[in-house]
Amino acid sequence: MEPAVLDSGSMYLKAGFASPDQDPSIILPTAMSRVEEEGGNGNSGVIGDITHPIKRGMIKDWDAMEDLWRYVFYTGLGWEPGNEGQLLVAEPLLTSKVSRERMVQTMFETFNVNGLYAVEQAVLSLYAVGRITGVAIDAGHGKIDIAPVWEGAVQHNAVKRFEIAGQDLTDLLAKELAQSQPDAKLDLAVVEMLKEKYATVSKDSSGYAATAEDCPSIEHTLPDGQVISIGREVYTVGEALLRPSILGVEEDGLAEQLLRSVSMCSPSENQRQLIENIVLCGGTSMMAGLDARLHKEAILLANPSVRPSLIKPPEYMPENTLINSAWMGGAILAKVVFPQNQHITKAEYDETGPPIVHRKCF
Amino acid sequence: MHGGDEVSAIVFDLGSHSCRSGYAGEDQPKSVFPSAVGSAESLGANTDKEAKKPGQAEVAKVRKLYAGVQALGYRRDHMEVLPAMKGGLVADWDVVESLWDHAFRDRLLIDPKEHPMLIAEPSFNTQQHREKMVELMFERYDVPALFLAKNAVLTSFASGRATSLVVDCGGGSVILGSVAAVHDGYVLQKAVVRSPIGGEVLTDCLQRTLEAKGIIIRPRFSFKRKEIRLGEYELIPLDPPNTTDSYYAYAQRAIVADIKESICRVPDSAFDDSSYANIPTTPYELPDGQIIEVGADRFKISDILFNPTIIQTIPGMENFSTEAGTTFYGLPQMVIESINKCDVDLRRELFNSVMLAGGTAAMHQMKERLEKDLMEEAPPAARVKVLASGNALERRFSVWIGGSILASMGSFQQMWFSKAEYEEHGPTYVQRKCP
Repeated sequence: MEPAVLDSGSMYLKAGFASPDQDPSIILPTAMSRVEEEGGNGNSGVIGDITHPIKRGMIKDWDAMEDLWRYVFYTGLGWEPGNEGQLLVAEPLLTSKVSRERMVQTMFETFNVNGLYAVEQAVLSLYAVGRITGVAIDAGHGKIDIAPVWEGAVQHNAVKRFEIAGQDLTDLLAKELAQSQPDAKLDLAVVEMLKEKYATVSKDSSGYAATAEDCPSIEHTLPDGQVISIGREVYTVGEALLRPSILGVEEDGLAEQLLRSVSMCSPSENQRQLIENIVLCGGTSMMAGLDARLHKEAILLANPSVRPSLIKPPEYMPENTLINSAWMGGAILAKVVFPQNQHITKAEYDETGPPIVHRKCF
Repeated sequence: MHGGDEVSAIVFDLGSHSCRSGYAGEDQPKSVFPSAVGSAESLGANTDKEAKKPGQAEVAKVRKLYAGVQALGYRRDHMEVLPAMKGGLVADWDVVESLWDHAFRDRLLIDPKEHPMLIAEPSFNTQQHREKMVELMFERYDVPALFLAKNAVLTSFASGRATSLVVDCGGGSVILGSVAAVHDGYVLQKAVVRSPIGGEVLTDCLQRTLEAKGIIIRPRFSFKRKEIRLGEYELIPLDPPNTTDSYYAYAQRAIVADIKESICRVPDSAFDDSSYANIPTTPYELPDGQIIEVGADRFKISDILFNPTIIQTIPGMENFSTEAGTTFYGLPQMVIESINKCDVDLRRELFNSVMLAGGTAAMHQMKERLEKDLMEEAPPAARVKVLASGNALERRFSVWIGGSILASMGSFQQMWFSKAEYEEHGPTYVQRKCP
């Protein structure tokens, strides 16, 4: 049986058997609603309170997460109890030791997996585009992580977490739309959909300033029949990534954080190679115009002799590699790690306990 | 909560220049960030940072401290930069608290209640400082156990030697501590020699030298580049108002420190202007695009460690030694002085194991030059050997690495100063538990 790869994100959980040329077979929203009868789970369409077990990339509600994983393993992947397979888990950066150990414990003790390997998402995203050195900017729903990776090892010192991510942009769009059209009733799921469809990053900061005066306004018909017009808001949402002062957050924008993260890597000879291999991945990175704008800003900020460049996935990888790059990289790595027995086996876990994850997987 | 006999202690090393922290048992600190915080005052609950009119200053001023590379790197109005340490000892406890908060909550993501702490302290730490640190850790962070270990002891642990003379060249100062051990490694207090010439002084000297040559160092936030035509860029100076002088100086110094780390080298023999006048220059590119050529100065600056009188030849720094009032010795003289203060029996062994540690010791050719100078100055019978780990990162973090080794040793686990003992005997007990 093929090893399975699991990438639990703040918004979507991606899972599937490790076949590198395909997308993950299961992409579920990471949301649960509590139903009285049993620990049910479902999509956000079900009535009831919706909890998100993963906030800002970190697992906050372990019980709900366990239920979700149970659904994924037994119903989604088709494992049989007693005959579970091997699992590769993609973890966000800056996961605390305790959280890691708990995850390993849950996997081995509750789900009885055969073998486990845990890798950071940044490293996997680089593998997905065929590199072992570079900077991975994983722009997700709950967080954006900027992680320089040198020859497969994350430079923990230089990792930057950017607190503005997909969910903040959705909130911003909702706020802006509420201001421009107070009588339209929009719930967050609809705003999310609007953001994915229309949000754009302007070509440069003066382009953004120009939209203040003149901006084409788009008419959109919502599923319930309302028609709303969206204008400058789509550009504001994009600009917030590069200049968070729009959101009222006192932080440098994405480009400055990227440069600063790279400059924290020592020795300085490596920095050039890191800047020339940037991978921009994750759901939020799909925003129209983000890659071009980030590229431009990085060129302006970096030393003149360095040419920052973004990596494009190789042709043999599927179309939307960059959205699910951590999962894709995991699929590639799973083919290497498990046959070579570098993973944690059940026997090793039984002997040493959860702290073995720090020794075998780093 | 989890089985296994891992103690997962945290090792924390607060230096004058940077603060290093991480889990015991690992080979590198997970989190390294500057030992300085940005301090901005805001009026009451209103976090608006613009200058208020004097009449409205009745509202209580709240001082907000920003720690960590990310927070410190963002230029805020009226944000001053406050260092944590002065002269190698803690100067401002609020700053230290915010550094600890940042390390625990933002970088390591741990709850201090669950982890014993091993804290590295300067070899000449005063009793008062130790008690205050112990008090802070137990009362504010509620740690289960802690231990204070001297920097010199940890460095020699990192190399596996029981007896050695540790030359710790750090950011703030150069401290020589000799460590002679019978069992666990004790520092011979009377043989500790200090000098205020450290990495930061060298950075200042380099900065003055460059400015005297007319090179302007622009911090990153003070300019912006604009593309006028494809491939051509123009530099636009920005002058954000309300930038404090201390922040400007801090940002400038960061750039000069990088220049120093990349191109300075220790000369093979004493520096003098005439012989180095024709040395080829090395180019360095500043963030704003200027390319500067540094020639003899690369060697001159590093030689200050060996011959401090050079400082007086640098424009702007003439009053350095006269301000402090004492004369400074170069590194080799300090080593000899320290060894001479020890017992006669130990001296041979100390000469044989001189250890280099600290960020400033990571300069090229430092080990070779020190060995050469020491051989000249030492008594002829002594065999001089200078040890330094080859990897520059290991030299920088050798104190932390020693702490990591110490805290994960099985035989060390009984030596922790526990919370129960603190509650029973009070902070002065630290003197007994952590010699």
